[in-house]
Amino acid sequence: MVFFALSFADCLLGLILSSIRLHAVEVDFPLYHNSNRSLKKSMLAMSTKGNFARDSLNRVTVRALNDLNLTLEQGDRIGLVGANGAGKTTLLRVLAGIFEPTRGKIEIEGRVTAILDASVGLDQDSTGRENIILRGMYMGIHPREMRAYVDEIVAFADLGSHIDMPTRTYSSGMLVQLAFAISTCIPPEILLMDEWLAAGDARFLANARKRMSDFVSRSSILVFASHSMSLLREWCNTGLYLDHGQIIAAGPIDEIIESYERLANS
Amino acid sequence: MQISMEAAAGAAWADDVDRSAAARWTKATADLWEGLQKYWLWGTMALQDIRLRYRGSIIGPFWLTLNTSIMVGMMGVLYPHLFHTTARDYLPYLAIGMVVWQFIQTVINESGWTFWIAQNVILQMPLPFSIYVYRMVARNLMILGHNCIIVPAILIILQVPIGLSALMAIPALLMLILNGVWIGMFFGIVCARFRDVSPILTNIVQVLFFGTPIFWDPAALGKWQFLVAFNPLFDAVDVIRAPLIGKPVADLSWPILLVVTGVGSIGTLWFFSRFRSRIAYWV
Repeated sequence: MVFFALSFADCLLGLILSSIRLHAVEVDFPLYHNSNRSLKKSMLAMSTKGNFARDSLNRVTVRALNDLNLTLEQGDRIGLVGANGAGKTTLLRVLAGIFEPTRGKIEIEGRVTAILDASVGLDQDSTGRENIILRGMYMGIHPREMRAYVDEIVAFADLGSHIDMPTRTYSSGMLVQLAFAISTCIPPEILLMDEWLAAGDARFLANARKRMSDFVSRSSILVFASHSMSLLREWCNTGLYLDHGQIIAAGPIDEIIESYERLANS
Repeated sequence: MQISMEAAAGAAWADDVDRSAAARWTKATADLWEGLQKYWLWGTMALQDIRLRYRGSIIGPFWLTLNTSIMVGMMGVLYPHLFHTTARDYLPYLAIGMVVWQFIQTVINESGWTFWIAQNVILQMPLPFSIYVYRMVARNLMILGHNCIIVPAILIILQVPIGLSALMAIPALLMLILNGVWIGMFFGIVCARFRDVSPILTNIVQVLFFGTPIFWDPAALGKWQFLVAFNPLFDAVDVIRAPLIGKPVADLSWPILLVVTGVGSIGTLWFFSRFRSRIAYWV
């Protein structure tokens, strides 16, 4: 058992400010044999290295998350590490409310902003500027409200004249810059980020990091999954090591990365 | 951050209120309502769907108008001879029947794809699931809007008298929209789980086209004519078509359509509340 003592003040603030609580959360993916989805099935089977079970109806399931108990409080900047198929993205999707856990309970205080994918909600044939409104809609923001943020987003995305070109012409790094600028235009209370951020260039990453530290100092929570150890060291203060859907270690980010690299290389 | 790694800590109480029928019901109705309020999102999605389908095309979605016009025009010339009637009687009947049928047909055919084609959004953005259903219905309504241009054209050219009773087509259309929503939701969920249902559905609808009096008169069935009323697809066409061409709606069309709508909507509401949380796992 790993336990981080919080100061009394932290506990008090945690009651009011953003927090995430997972109680015995389990996620089972059903695999349907007689369905026409063998590719997906075999990919899941490969990536999770055979973490299978059978559920009550005798369906084969793969356990993506196993009995997760976790409390995140304001100021936590969590870095998720683990091999492919360890459950990082699944955990982010559970936190985002996309997957309802098959068992267990999740309690979230605060507005969740999930940027799990850079390209969702972007129309390839519309310009970057038009896409700001569009992506805003996918984030649940009314176009009228979104218009107020356009200038600020354009400035932060820092794409120069490209902002008025169709996003079809963008590089993946530029897409990331635009998506990040849009997604964080309203300061998130809980920010969930997957892998893709690493596609940004050094200048953008520096800007993004500055923006992030602003959020976190304003009582936000960051959960960031990445394979880039340098980014994780820079952005996060706490590491969570996932393996086969279980937390096998948690603690200061440097220690966790160390143990992850030691295990991965052994 | 606190982490407890004690296995099964609290597992006993973890399966609690969140999964009760009442909690599911609340979530399902909230989903439907929140989705409805985001009309700007599904409206835009529907527009984009159409734009994408006709990208680079000069007349764009008016291809639909043209297709329907050609189809109706051809059948309108040929079939009056087969059915021993006049084009003046037959054309409005056929045109409205075809336009409404195409709406019904594409709604049913695309219902199986409601969630499936939205897979990438569903897995990245937490949005109400009902959004994808509204999007499908809205898209088909926009297509209906392009298709139905030929209806007033035909009614005017053939000088079909239009009375106030034609207004009854409006509640009839609303009824069709409501049915589109439950159909999109129901089959969207079923087909997310069972991919084979979608092609089966397409085949059934294809066959029903010939079995439903769209381009032929139910009177041709003679003493079996009463059976037609029990085909809800005919009822759906009839409640819109009859008032527009100044004919009485068949006695059983509205009652049976209302029963189908009621049973379908309530059944689907239960179904949705039961399986809503599984959709993301199935797509």
